[in-house]
Amino acid sequence: MSRLFMSLSIAFRSLLQHGRRTVFLGLAIAGVTALLTLLNGLSSGIKRTMVHTATTLSTGHLNVGGFFKVTGGQSAPVVTRYKEVLDVVKRAVPEMVFAVARGRGWAKVISDRGSMQAGLGGIDIKDEPAFKDVLQIVAGSIDDLAQPNTVLVFESQLKKLEVKVGDALTVSAQTTRGAANTIDLRVVAIARDVGLLSKWNVFVPSATLRALYQIRPDATGAIHIHLAEKDFDHIPTIAARLRTSLEQAGFRVMDPDAQAFWMKFQTVNREEWTGQKLDVTTWEDELSFMTWTLKLLDGLTALLMVILIAIVITGIMNTMWIAIRERTREIGTLRAIGMQRRGVLSMFMLESLLLGLGSTVSGAVAGALLAAALNAAQIAVPEAVQLFLMSDRLQLSIEGPSLLRSVALITAVAGLAALFPSLRAARLRPVVAMSHFG
Amino acid sequence: MHRLIGIAALAAIAAPGASTAARAATGKQELVDILKVVDERQRNSGDWRSVAYIEQKERDKVDVVYEALIFRRAQDQKFMMLFSKPKASQGQGYLRLDKNLWFYDPGVGKWERRTERERIGGTNSRRSDFDESRLAEEYDPEANGEEKLGAYTALAMTLKGKAGLDLAFPVIKLWVDKDTRNVLKRQEFALSGRLLRTAYYPKWKQQFSESKKADVWFPQEIRFFDEVEKANSTLILLKSVDFKPLEANLFTKAWLESKSR
Repeated sequence: MSRLFMSLSIAFRSLLQHGRRTVFLGLAIAGVTALLTLLNGLSSGIKRTMVHTATTLSTGHLNVGGFFKVTGGQSAPVVTRYKEVLDVVKRAVPEMVFAVARGRGWAKVISDRGSMQAGLGGIDIKDEPAFKDVLQIVAGSIDDLAQPNTVLVFESQLKKLEVKVGDALTVSAQTTRGAANTIDLRVVAIARDVGLLSKWNVFVPSATLRALYQIRPDATGAIHIHLAEKDFDHIPTIAARLRTSLEQAGFRVMDPDAQAFWMKFQTVNREEWTGQKLDVTTWEDELSFMTWTLKLLDGLTALLMVILIAIVITGIMNTMWIAIRERTREIGTLRAIGMQRRGVLSMFMLESLLLGLGSTVSGAVAGALLAAALNAAQIAVPEAVQLFLMSDRLQLSIEGPSLLRSVALITAVAGLAALFPSLRAARLRPVVAMSHFG
Repeated sequence: MHRLIGIAALAAIAAPGASTAARAATGKQELVDILKVVDERQRNSGDWRSVAYIEQKERDKVDVVYEALIFRRAQDQKFMMLFSKPKASQGQGYLRLDKNLWFYDPGVGKWERRTERERIGGTNSRRSDFDESRLAEEYDPEANGEEKLGAYTALAMTLKGKAGLDLAFPVIKLWVDKDTRNVLKRQEFALSGRLLRTAYYPKWKQQFSESKKADVWFPQEIRFFDEVEKANSTLILLKSVDFKPLEANLFTKAWLESKSR
């Protein structure tokens, strides 16, 4: 122990003695760590925002949706007898925090000035307080969505529809049996855009959606199942378990297909079956058309990490080579007064590890502070980025475990980078080292 | 039998309500017969080939004109539509097989199953607008009296979809020329009762069909007005109508695909 303490003491003093070099190298390592922290924070922030927003607006962490086919070629995104399905869900998914039933539809929305094709979300606003937290209402009141024949639209849709709160919209669609139907709605709320989802989604009360599609009260579009954050990593396992339970309960269940429900119509319509089939999906399935952005960002982060680590390794190795060259006589003296080779090795390794640890901790703290400052500054992001970010503000999320991983990784890299030069130093013969002039 | 007729006649004299009901029933039967005539005049009983020009006008959009070949076979209710213009739609087509409507896009090289009520090429026209008339089969009529439509006297009627049939428009109002039995005007309503589309049939033409051994009537021009999006309208012109028998293997996916190779 005393030997380790002595080695640490020597390493620390050596770092202090070569203050200028220590500061430069330390700053470089701290900078790299801060950058990595920010990149991880950005990636986590986007993922967190995306998951939070999307799992409130358009999907649960896990969903039981499905298709009902009156004829082979005509399907509707409907789950019949959904309360029976919900009973199975409750038994099969004890991890469930809560579940909501949402209507699903696709229709033409027409105003006096324009029209657009839109996805219809049927919602019981009284049962979904989290929905209000996610959306920022710029006009009207979201609570009015509890009234029948009302609609919530997003700001970007105003360009096409040119409506304001109180104006009328007509929604035209085909019922599940293919008959044309319309319903007149009143705009009660206009929400700020939340990325791609707000480009083509509007929300109406569930009863209104049922009336439009002539769906029975015991049917809905999908059951959104919400889980606690600790269970996010186990979602595929829970989905598989739920699929088995639904089959055992006598429901027909579709094979897993990692796509959003609206991308499955073609496949479903090609198949000959009629009646009801359930489809268990995860939030990642329902957002599969967007999650590529996360994968891209993760890929870029990994690439940058490799580049930055290469820079750290090169920097530390060079510095260590210079240090060993400068301190060759010191090494010789230490060896002459009895220090073993292992001692020399650990001295230089500890020096590098100390430098790495101190710098990465400082860098991580600086990165976390910078992320907090950026969050506080509420930086607006360009519209194109908003589409995928599902937020109009930049939001970084610094997570403790991720921060510790960065610190541990770069410290370990710093230690490893010093290994080869330290081995060379340890191999020096005392006589040769003492007679070195450089 | 004589006794039964006697009882019926007595009941008609004694009960005016029953007499009115009998008249209404007769009126309804007359309307059904009129619908049968409307359908029969347009029925070919053989094959059909024509060229259709479809012009779509929409607010804030450039007008689009499609040219398409229409093929029909009455025997098994087959239907095919092959787009030849504009260039972007060239080779696309619809094929009705066994009551399933399929859409082919050579750009993707895939067949997609579509609903029978699909808007053709995104216009306000449907497959049924190009197909044989089956009003008597699908709807129950109610009389709305006679109305003047310009120079024509029309029999107005409301048609309600028969129970058990899946129809695009559950309610239709129809104006039939009293003299010729040609359709002059047609209004289609949603389940909600909202008027969705008004169609006018200003030009009818008759042409002899060998397969029917009689004249077949068809509208040369149909004008659709979108009643929900008021600025939108669709014009259909039917040209080069030909009733000669078509190739046996015409109504196949392979044939339609081959046209875009």
